[in-house]
Amino acid sequence: MGIYIQTVWLGGLLIEGVILLRSVLGRSLAKYPLFFLYIASVFAASMALYVIARPSAHRLYWPKQYVTLFLGCGVIFEVSRHVFAQRVTLDRVARWTMLVTFGAIFLSVAIQAFLLPHWNVTTNTADLERDLRIAQAIALMTILFLTGYYGIVIGKNIKGMILGFGIYVGASVFSLTLELFVGSRFDRAFGIIQSTAYLVALAVWLVALWSYEPEDNEKPPSNSGGGYQFLAGRTQEALGSINEHLERTVPR
Amino acid sequence: MIQLIISLLVGVALLASLYFFVRRSKASAEGSAQQLREARQTLDSLQFGLLPNDLVHRIFAREDLEYVLSNAPADVQSLFLSERKDIALGWVGRVRGAILELMRFHRGHARLYAQLSPATETRLALNFASLLALCRFLQIAVYLRGPYAAPGMVRTVAATAGRVCNISEQSLQFLKVKQLDPLNNTPSSHGASV
Repeated sequence: MGIYIQTVWLGGLLIEGVILLRSVLGRSLAKYPLFFLYIASVFAASMALYVIARPSAHRLYWPKQYVTLFLGCGVIFEVSRHVFAQRVTLDRVARWTMLVTFGAIFLSVAIQAFLLPHWNVTTNTADLERDLRIAQAIALMTILFLTGYYGIVIGKNIKGMILGFGIYVGASVFSLTLELFVGSRFDRAFGIIQSTAYLVALAVWLVALWSYEPEDNEKPPSNSGGGYQFLAGRTQEALGSINEHLERTVPR
Repeated sequence: MIQLIISLLVGVALLASLYFFVRRSKASAEGSAQQLREARQTLDSLQFGLLPNDLVHRIFAREDLEYVLSNAPADVQSLFLSERKDIALGWVGRVRGAILELMRFHRGHARLYAQLSPATETRLALNFASLLALCRFLQIAVYLRGPYAAPGMVRTVAATAGRVCNISEQSLQFLKVKQLDPLNNTPSSHGASV
């Protein structure tokens, strides 16, 4: 099992290196700075943990997780920025969702720390990471919902970013939750799930970000607030009349 | 335990969202020729094939039921009722389809505006969802009670279908104008799409 994780770890380092190299060669580094900052940070942290002796590496594992988790939020901002480019309201909704979910989690941590004398953030690291991963998952789902609802076209690069990050976040939510509830019996499975999911995510990113592809050209959004109000008003009016008819039809 | 369930649900929801995201087909450009043709065909079949008042009245005429009940043998009565029920269900299905069409038009055009009203969009989304649920409820009611069990239901369904049809017609008129006038093809000039 140790050999598997070691192999995945080394494979991950290799892929991260290739992704960073391709970002420079393919000139996509400047286009997605937050995403490549995240990859670079994971690359540096993984390299450091691999080199450093085992007891110190254990101590550094959780701080590294928090740093990469924080930078992972940057990936979501990056995705939202590109997907909702010029669509001010949708971008704002995605960011607000993220801020509210993260705010709620930090508020609950503060409340727990205040009310429960034995509760300590340093001894509940997995707990906190799971909650923060849930916040990331909610933010990602908001973006997916909004793009699906409005039929917004997403390019290959961003699609890969969403898919890879989503796989990793989803696997993390599962493994961290089961780790907390099953306990130490789940340790080995936890390691395998986490490292495999991350390797899959890296593979997706490698393929999707091999070369820079601009987002599909769509008619640029209009800033005409009046036009939108009119559209929404007409739709609302139409729905109202249908509703009125149906309400009369359905026996209550 | 609740924490466990919520966390796992979020994980499942995310993975399901990713699955649908990967399977999502590429959205067609709004106002494309294919989209216009499909919408036109749907409307034509509704307006000229199913919606005329005389035809609706004929299909759901209570006299037919009374005639069949008094003159036809049991197996013919049963066949008659079954066929009429299918027609009624088809009607509700058409209304549902028209609402979906309206929803598609609204979303397709709303995405062309930089600034949307979150409150309005949320309200519209909830209205669409409730209407679609209502249609489903109607389908169940017709399925369980039959087209003659609820007096007035068929007439109302027909009227609703007609109304939605008119709304879609307005959308298509706008799209036609847009197609004919490519120089004036900006969202601000075609706000009245629905």
